[in-house]
Amino acid sequence: MNNSDNALKVNNLVIRFGGLYAIDNVNMHINKGEFVGLIGPNGAGKTTFFNSITGNLIPTEGTITYQGKSLIKKSPDKISHMGISRTFQNIRIFPKMTVLENVCLPIHSKPTYNLFSAMLGLPSVKNEDKRIQEKALDFLNRLGIEAYKDHQAGALSYGLQRRLEIARALAADLSLLLLDEPAAGMNNDECNELIELLHGIHKDFNLSIMLIEHHIDVVLKLCSRIYVLNLGKLLAEGAPHEIQSNPDVIRAYLGERRKKQ
Amino acid sequence: MYIASVVVTICVNIVAVIGLALLTGYTGMFSLGHAGFMCIGAYVAVLLNKYFIVPYVFALILGGFASVLVSLIIGYPTLRNKLRGDYFAICMLGFGTVVRLILNNMNNPITNGALGITNIPKLTTLWSALLFMLVLVYFMWNFVNSQYGKNCVAIQQQEVAAEMMGVSIVRTKLLSLAISAFYCAVSGGILGFWLQYIAPATFSDTRSNDFLATLVTGGINSITGPLLASVFLTTMLEYLRFFANWRLVVYGLLFILIMRFLPEGIMGYKEFSLKNTIKFFKEFSQNKVKIMEKWMRFCAKLTKKTNNKERKL
Repeated sequence: MNNSDNALKVNNLVIRFGGLYAIDNVNMHINKGEFVGLIGPNGAGKTTFFNSITGNLIPTEGTITYQGKSLIKKSPDKISHMGISRTFQNIRIFPKMTVLENVCLPIHSKPTYNLFSAMLGLPSVKNEDKRIQEKALDFLNRLGIEAYKDHQAGALSYGLQRRLEIARALAADLSLLLLDEPAAGMNNDECNELIELLHGIHKDFNLSIMLIEHHIDVVLKLCSRIYVLNLGKLLAEGAPHEIQSNPDVIRAYLGERRKKQ
Repeated sequence: MYIASVVVTICVNIVAVIGLALLTGYTGMFSLGHAGFMCIGAYVAVLLNKYFIVPYVFALILGGFASVLVSLIIGYPTLRNKLRGDYFAICMLGFGTVVRLILNNMNNPITNGALGITNIPKLTTLWSALLFMLVLVYFMWNFVNSQYGKNCVAIQQQEVAAEMMGVSIVRTKLLSLAISAFYCAVSGGILGFWLQYIAPATFSDTRSNDFLATLVTGGINSITGPLLASVFLTTMLEYLRFFANWRLVVYGLLFILIMRFLPEGIMGYKEFSLKNTIKFFKEFSQNKVKIMEKWMRFCAKLTKKTNNKERKL
């Protein structure tokens, strides 16, 4: 089947805010198990693109399908249950919850027991909670932050919060992970650590990953295919070495005036 | 007898405030009209008992379910359209007022319009009120610490992320609204069967505001905080009765101080327990000198500031 190797397929996507075309006629696809990069200057519409996939924005035109099912006009929680999970550019953890509770949340976002047993506090409820906590601990272990499990998430350092966000996204029983600038504000060593981590996650969890990133090293080392967005339009697509030498991409990064229509 | 009446009032307030704590403290939605739910619960319970001879406990529970039904009817359209924050609070304010005005203007022999229902049998005793309060607080405690409660907290802290992690926003918010409506309705029923008289004016907007104020004083994201606050504020209100209208001034001053120095409430994000209290006092006794120094510095700063202002003037 053709659908099985195209995990995500985006056709003729248009997102318009009034007269501004934030995304203009973009076609993209992610194959199953592929690591795809999405780069572009600031304001190119990368995060808007993510928002439209996860259901925060309803596209003006176009289709988005995941494993053969349409994602348009579905609410974000339903899309999440279809196996798409993401991290955010500006960290959005639950600051007053503990690290463990943060990671537990996506596992029990659809409660696994009914309301009345929850209110009565039955022993089965406590067992279920314990089972979920153990499951969450596995993810914390994988990201190497299990030592902080009882800390308040908001009190963690920036790097650890980024890791926590990835752990939380992984816990959501996913098959497609959207990473929005995971290396923002990190130095070289931290970037290398992140590359190793993401590489491992990609292999171990058998995921398709789409990565938005400004650190070009990270993108070149991780991604097998790269899309370049500029001013809402798809500028180029190809393997890392093709993108590096593409004159359009270089011009876009150095800056260009928006054409008068 | 006087003491009993104070204790029953405290129980009634606790049940209502705990219900509101789920909605406001845990899910993060402000409501200015929960007296409306209380009103519905009280009327339904009392009328069922009076005309259909439904026993006390069942009347209270059925009153609760009537309120849940109403809360779903008002909650679904407002929450589905992502009405949040102040808008939702104003919507609920309107709801509370509408319920009161409808009952005020229904001039029939059953509800008696603004005169209210009199001669209600006194079925609430001190012990039944206490028992109801304890059972309902226990249920709420379990709920808040369950997966359902955690989903509510997630929505309060970071709605976008919670939705992206698979929490259904509409369903979770509706659930917490319905449960808080149930709690308020039961507390209204308990109050009705204790006072032996209910009228629309019993459930005025002031009551909703009092609940919200008690909750904010007690602390958001906490059960024991609002519980202690409602005990404290209700008894304080009784003590201050001698002051007549001045009690409202004391009340207001207290809230200003709390909003200034403890914006999350006295027990915000904390629960009262013996362990925590012992820990607190241990730390306090160990760091007595440090804390005293801190206070001295704080006071010095305050006086310095005022001095500067005087100089400027």
